[in-house]
Amino acid sequence: MKTFYQLATLVLTSALMIFVLAAGASGQIAETAALANLTEGQGLIASAGNPAWDGMSELVLIPGASLMGASSATTILTLGFTGGSTVDIDNMVLYTTPRNGSMITAIKKLTLNKLSNPSIQLTSKTVCPTQPVSATNPCIIKLDKVTGALSPLDDYYFVIYFTLDPNNQSVTGLGQAQSYGALSGWFLYGDETRIGKDGALPTGNAGQAPFFLLSVTNQ
Amino acid sequence: MKNVSKFTTLTLMALGLLVWGFSQQAAAATKAVNLTRGIVGPVNANSSWGGYSVLDMIPGAGLIPVTSANTTFYIGFTQGTEADVANMVLYTTPRGSLTISAVTPVTFGGASNPSIALSSPSVCPIVEISVNNPCIVRFDPTKIALSALNDYYLVIYFTSDSNNSGIGATVPRFNQSSLIGWFIASDQTRLTVGQSIPAGNSGAQPDFLMYVMSN
Repeated sequence: MKTFYQLATLVLTSALMIFVLAAGASGQIAETAALANLTEGQGLIASAGNPAWDGMSELVLIPGASLMGASSATTILTLGFTGGSTVDIDNMVLYTTPRNGSMITAIKKLTLNKLSNPSIQLTSKTVCPTQPVSATNPCIIKLDKVTGALSPLDDYYFVIYFTLDPNNQSVTGLGQAQSYGALSGWFLYGDETRIGKDGALPTGNAGQAPFFLLSVTNQ
Repeated sequence: MKNVSKFTTLTLMALGLLVWGFSQQAAAATKAVNLTRGIVGPVNANSSWGGYSVLDMIPGAGLIPVTSANTTFYIGFTQGTEADVANMVLYTTPRGSLTISAVTPVTFGGASNPSIALSSPSVCPIVEISVNNPCIVRFDPTKIALSALNDYYLVIYFTSDSNNSGIGATVPRFNQSSLIGWFIASDQTRLTVGQSIPAGNSGAQPDFLMYVMSN
């Protein structure tokens, strides 16, 4: 019996060691552990060109063709705010389309602290440690992680709809950055977060810098 | 006998673990990843390609550090029923140089002179291709590992026929890709090592070439 356990332990240990060594050597076993950009985010932060965001949707393209090969089962979308006191978000989603296509094939709800309609207190030091929030001290907000890897065979659209209320009139994003990497966005009046599967994305993307989406990372 | 049975079970479990592990690696290795930043956002169309060569540059300086023994080109069509390719190649030059140092054949369905049936749902799943729903055609993986020390030029020569008069190439609207291109009204796919890449590259948006991936 003792010999049996010794043999069994030996077999299992050997199998695990071979697996770990082989997988480690090929670099494929672990998802990227360190913080990594999944695409090129925005560099220089500005604050120009913001419209009044009450009742407005912003749509931001995250192109599959720009994904840089970092393997990650989760995606973190990070937003940047440069002005305002309270941001009232009515809804946020991530649409999937075929690469360079316009038909929505999948929709994921996005949340902040598990809410898809959060209010963000930009004047709170616990939310935005450096006060007051400005273009030189932007408030960076990480949304809850999105499960599921981004595929280079698809495009993705981050869409955020701001509630039609006075708070959102003074909210500004880090808009019109001159170094906006692979992201591009546009905005439309009305709620564009409720388009269903097989629906068409609204047109209007002219390749401008997005206002709120700062980066797309693995954690 | 009982011990033998237990031992066999454990051995099989261990083997199963190994097989699973290696299959995961194989799956990861064959997953398509971008080798450079491809075409981003909506596209326009550029039509009528009979008798033209399209030249698309893949700069070594734009490569994402992903190791791949193969390179797969994806090209986009916005209209047409059949594209007749007379020949297609990939030229290699030293980075920043125009002197060709290698010529590699590029194929689709095993042929370097394919006819691409754009009206076939197996080639273009979305029928009625358009600028809003371009048909993205994946060429066969080319056995070449792209190096950041070289530049590469994908050159496709379209037969001078009526089919090619009706085809449309994708042209990006945004200048956010690493790819650039131009076109010439003659066959530029027969150049050899030591010859020069044809003039005309002014940093314009590439026609046809959408993505350069590992698979």
